[in-house]
Amino acid sequence: MIMSEKGKQHVDSCRFCWMCHHICPIGNATGQERNTARARALGISLVNREAIDLSEIMDNIFECGCCGACVKECVTGWDPVMFTKETRLHAAMEDKLPEYINVLVDNCFEKGNAYGITEVDAELKKAIAAHTANTDTVLFLGADAIYKAPECAVKAIKVLEKAGVNFTVLENEPNSGAQLEYLISAANETKEVMNNCAKVLNSFKTVVAYDPQDAKVLKREYKEWDINLTAEVKTFTAFVAGLLKDGALKAENSGKKVVYQDPFQLSRDLLETEEAREIINAYAVCEEMLCNKNDTMWAGNILMREWMADVMDKVALSRILNAKCVNADTIVTASVSEYVSLKSVESDVEILSIEDLILG
Amino acid sequence: MQYQMNEFLFAMILTELEDAVGKQNCSTRAIDKVTHSVDYYWLSRMWADRGCRMPEADIVVCPENAQEVSKVLKIANYYKLPVTTWGAGGGTQGGAIPVCGGIILDTKRMNKIYEVNTEGMYIECGTGAIYKHIEWAANEVGKATMHYPSSLTCSTVGGFLAHRGIGVVSTKYGKIDDMVLKMEVVLPNGDIIETCSAPKHAAGPDLNQIFIGSEGTLGIITKAQIRIFDQPEERRFRGFLFQDMTGAFKASRELLQKFKPSVMRLYDEAETASLIKKIVGVERKGAFMNIAYEGVKEMVEVEEKILLETFAKYGAEDLGSEYGEKWWKEKITFFYPGHMMDIPQMFGTMDTIAPYGKIEEIYWAMKAAIEKEFPQAKFIAHFSHWYEWGAMVYDRFIIEGKDVPQDPVEALRLHQRVWTTGVRTAIAHGGVVNDHHGVGIKLGRLMKEQYGPAMQVFEGIKKQLDPNGIMNPFKLGL
Repeated sequence: MIMSEKGKQHVDSCRFCWMCHHICPIGNATGQERNTARARALGISLVNREAIDLSEIMDNIFECGCCGACVKECVTGWDPVMFTKETRLHAAMEDKLPEYINVLVDNCFEKGNAYGITEVDAELKKAIAAHTANTDTVLFLGADAIYKAPECAVKAIKVLEKAGVNFTVLENEPNSGAQLEYLISAANETKEVMNNCAKVLNSFKTVVAYDPQDAKVLKREYKEWDINLTAEVKTFTAFVAGLLKDGALKAENSGKKVVYQDPFQLSRDLLETEEAREIINAYAVCEEMLCNKNDTMWAGNILMREWMADVMDKVALSRILNAKCVNADTIVTASVSEYVSLKSVESDVEILSIEDLILG
Repeated sequence: MQYQMNEFLFAMILTELEDAVGKQNCSTRAIDKVTHSVDYYWLSRMWADRGCRMPEADIVVCPENAQEVSKVLKIANYYKLPVTTWGAGGGTQGGAIPVCGGIILDTKRMNKIYEVNTEGMYIECGTGAIYKHIEWAANEVGKATMHYPSSLTCSTVGGFLAHRGIGVVSTKYGKIDDMVLKMEVVLPNGDIIETCSAPKHAAGPDLNQIFIGSEGTLGIITKAQIRIFDQPEERRFRGFLFQDMTGAFKASRELLQKFKPSVMRLYDEAETASLIKKIVGVERKGAFMNIAYEGVKEMVEVEEKILLETFAKYGAEDLGSEYGEKWWKEKITFFYPGHMMDIPQMFGTMDTIAPYGKIEEIYWAMKAAIEKEFPQAKFIAHFSHWYEWGAMVYDRFIIEGKDVPQDPVEALRLHQRVWTTGVRTAIAHGGVVNDHHGVGIKLGRLMKEQYGPAMQVFEGIKKQLDPNGIMNPFKLGL
């Protein structure tokens, strides 16, 4: 298998180590031994030793949410997300991706989003139409919000409107490359999509990334992969927290007790944990549940619902159980993906987005 | 299996198992079979490292509760299929490796926490729960499990029960068999039984203790009530340096007649100069010992006074609390790859237990035997679990990669010889074949040497409960 020396070293270190067994949100939710970092490493190591065929581990390689809980947990610094993504890249290069992944990748290239959806929701279209004029600031909604959760995208627009922000929303928003980064990692095609996105975004001074997954890629992978993005990228939560501080948003605290679901992209990848809490504490009372801040336990996403919706439900339910353990009846999320995931399962715990809290 | 499995029969059995646990919880995928074939046992790791496939199960099943386990065992008994129970695969003795194929029964879907009872001071949970999750549940109500082995995050409740595991605060709080009140067990014939509602009774032998440590050979433990404890008001640490281990043994024996610390760890000179130097930072010659004592603050004060007086009598140098605290913080770091021995090295932990009059002698005898027979091996040890009557030695051999045969069968032969030499020496000097890692397939051959005619007690129980011999064959010497 084509894999960096670093990748191979990490695989051979993780293949016989169980220390992060307890922390994988998918492993915890499914109880499946294969949903562990060590199982993935063992499988890859056996492919590298020609004891098993790559095709026999490919499904397992796409059963990882790449949330980085295992990476955070490892005191030695081994990185299962890295070798999982390298294996995805290798499979893409060798044309050995599972068919259900190929469809999503092709959709990214052909339709601009993994879901292959071309029509934008009418209400969202209307909300976007009010902000097509050029300004310094662009609200980047992201493919998940536009095509899978348009009501969330509308609320995000309304929050900025409420604060009186002069901003632009792109009618034909380019794909950030976040979906491809997740599916096939650092392929040339991913970088091409990112370069095209950067060209569009560079006509603005500030990019407010609504989806933490986009924020992470725009702020981290773009830099690491030399994508020329000159605009300043701010997370939606950081931007909104700033609006509160500036007085552009006036909050009234309801005294409602809630717990906050930290998106790993913010807390672990971008080291942002307090901004959302500042917003929540302006409108409600933020309490903590098990595994918070950079120890957060992922609650699932929209993209993986395309091939393992049942597992995403289990992941979301596990997180709801964590909230229930501290007697919380409301979870607030800052990730459109986790919001949809948590909302997808039946429970007596209320799921709110940061926008819900602000808009009341 | 007493007949040749064919494709038709295999498909028939598979549908029955799917019916029992649900199709999605029944797998013949290569990734599932492979990941259930390599545990923490050095031989299984070496085998995989050499690009060989370990013996694999034919079918992996993941039942959700005792009722589903019962159905699986009834099917397995009818077709006389081997059943190997798998917790999280963190065992070091090959106990969870499906050496005869058949069914792997993974318990991790049985991970429900049914009750956190702060009056009875227990948590009732499925045995597939990762122990760390039980600890989280205890912590949420201000309690603690006080079972903190290095494998806390990677082993299940059932895994610890299966091989009679132990944690670092065992001297005060006990071993896993002290942590259990009651259990639910599925017998090989599919009957679901419960042990008595309280341990330490006089209603005959304690059934808990028949199944704890039986490594899945007599049945499958599916539920357990695990004790929880109040968090200590105070936990203090004290590091000491002894000039030799004899003084440390005498001091520790005397200390344990006075009170029970929680942590007691004595490192031999070799381990003090290697692991302790690297991770804790003690750069002195001698035998490092870490003691923790905890509980109600006033009692901790008294215990500290007794500790300092007792150890001073035996010439221990008081290193203060810094190293002990560092040790506590890093207690699991020791076991991460990059800190721990790893392939290409060959290594093993031959833990044994014995009374005070014998344990130091065992250490020196094992060290001499290993170093004489295998001059390429390094022998290091620490003594990590202590009682009023004796202690266990956590002794390791390490052979550097350059001295390990590349040929997997040759490597296996060398590994077996080292183990046989070490454990036979321990038995010959009054030690027991193992303290807390279990027997598995690694030490099964030495069980008869350990027990002699007493082995027939185990064999009789096995024959009665599992007449078809389907449960975890070739483990525990049964």
